[in-house]
Amino acid sequence: MIGFLALRLLRAALTIALVVSFAFIVLRLSGDPAMTIMSPEAPPEAIAAFRTAWGLDRPIWEQYFSYFGAILHGELGQSMRDGRPAIAVVVERIPATLMLTIPALIVKVGIGVPAGIFAALYRNSWIDRLVMALAVAGFTVPSFVLGLILVLVFAVSLGWLPSGGQGSWRSLVLPVITMSMGGAGVLARFTRSAMLEVLGQPYIRTATAKGVPWPAVVRGHALPNAAIPTVTIIGFMVGTLIAGAVVVESVFSWPGVGRLLVVAVANRDLAVVQCILLLVAATMVTSNFIVDLLYGVLDPRLRARRP
Amino acid sequence: MKWNIPVAVSAAMLWLALVLAVAILADVLRPFGITALDLRARLTPPVGFGGGWAHALGTDELGRDVLSRLLVSIQMSLRIAFGATVIAAVFGTFMGFIAAHFRGWAEQIVLMLVDFQASMPFLILALSVLAFFGNSLLLFTCLLGLYGWERYARIARGLAIAANAQGYAAAIRQLGAQPMRIYLGHVLPNIASTLIVSATLSFPEVVLLESGLSFLGLGVQPPMTSLGNMVGYGREYLTRAPWILLTPSVVIVLTTLAVSLLGDWLRDRLDPTLR
Repeated sequence: MIGFLALRLLRAALTIALVVSFAFIVLRLSGDPAMTIMSPEAPPEAIAAFRTAWGLDRPIWEQYFSYFGAILHGELGQSMRDGRPAIAVVVERIPATLMLTIPALIVKVGIGVPAGIFAALYRNSWIDRLVMALAVAGFTVPSFVLGLILVLVFAVSLGWLPSGGQGSWRSLVLPVITMSMGGAGVLARFTRSAMLEVLGQPYIRTATAKGVPWPAVVRGHALPNAAIPTVTIIGFMVGTLIAGAVVVESVFSWPGVGRLLVVAVANRDLAVVQCILLLVAATMVTSNFIVDLLYGVLDPRLRARRP
Repeated sequence: MKWNIPVAVSAAMLWLALVLAVAILADVLRPFGITALDLRARLTPPVGFGGGWAHALGTDELGRDVLSRLLVSIQMSLRIAFGATVIAAVFGTFMGFIAAHFRGWAEQIVLMLVDFQASMPFLILALSVLAFFGNSLLLFTCLLGLYGWERYARIARGLAIAANAQGYAAAIRQLGAQPMRIYLGHVLPNIASTLIVSATLSFPEVVLLESGLSFLGLGVQPPMTSLGNMVGYGREYLTRAPWILLTPSVVIVLTTLAVSLLGDWLRDRLDPTLR
């Protein structure tokens, strides 16, 4: 178990290092930030001063190592637009994003998992067909289309809910619905196939044959085993909590990390984009790691296995 | 194998055939140029909502014909999605074969890249790359071509390793064939059906990704037009002229739906492990 964890930690660190390198390569080699931020007509002394201030005049490998070192010290640079630390600019947006993504995750799991379980238990019935049709519809309608149609119906025509911005709980309804439908569809399909796989196993037949009532078979034997693959998908969804809302936040003018990213990208604000990229990588890696730990709890076979 | 096709799948095929025909013939079919202005007919509603047949799907605020723009947008979106899917399939399969052929550290590097790609949300990576490399159509297509390469790589690696252990690959190797010839001429045809199904399943995701990025204003740039671009632009006229946004939305939804239905059906048909 210790070896398994150490291996996992090593891989997590490696992924982060890859993301840092990716960020560095893409963001530094793609253009001259000095030319983008300052206008090309700016006096050469000003451009040179800008380059020195941001370390852009040093050799690229030196920039790379100092960049790595700075990140290890928690220094993520300053937003090139207003000079504040990039990390502060990003962190102040996180609560707004979580206000959307956490309820959305709850809705996704709350609809998707039971729907998938029911579809599997009543395989090939009308319940199954209906759930699967809705699931396909859920993840083939892009979130920006769903969001805009909801705005058109519930905000513009009926006037029940606000069309955007961050206000009372009512402003949460449309973005949360928009964000959760696709994920609920994916989860329903996934849970259904996990359940079907488990229901076909010999131990289910054994349990039924020895006279265990069907509800108890489902509760005691089918659900715990089907939970294992489903947890992986949910874990992945937890990893996207920080930045899973890029499109939806833009549709509903929500002041979260996703909108910050779109704006920072449009302004070529290097430090902020890097900071978000690292933050996303860190949450993804952490949630994957937690999923790995959960496997050990959910599946006793993995606890005994040597890596 | 008996191929009785469900109604939904035939409808999906019909729709896709229509969309493909439109994509090929867009320049012949469109009644107006996509930048042709008709300032006297600004914001005309579509036929049936008070508009006339001159602009069957209405016009936007500059008097540009929505139908013509829609046809050209379909062409653009499909072209990008098709190009990107081909790039991803070729690149991913190539990486998979490299891993399967060399094993050892080459395989470890490929697997590490696969894990990296699979663990990062693609939209975030794409956004970072796009903004900093500027935006050209070629770059945009190539960038989307990185989407999902890791799936092809995984499939190709697994199947190629399995194929290498089989008699036919060993026999050709003993005959002295070069690795290129073994992989392209013999292994690839044997694993192609799985790769094609995988491509069908990832195609709608690429369409959604393209339209999402274009919707955010970071994909296809004006004066070119794509489905997502039209939705993003029509958003400004949501209350006054919802048709600008609704027509491309309907096309996106129907197309991704049709491809997923077809892909699911193909997978159930062709994947022997599911039968």
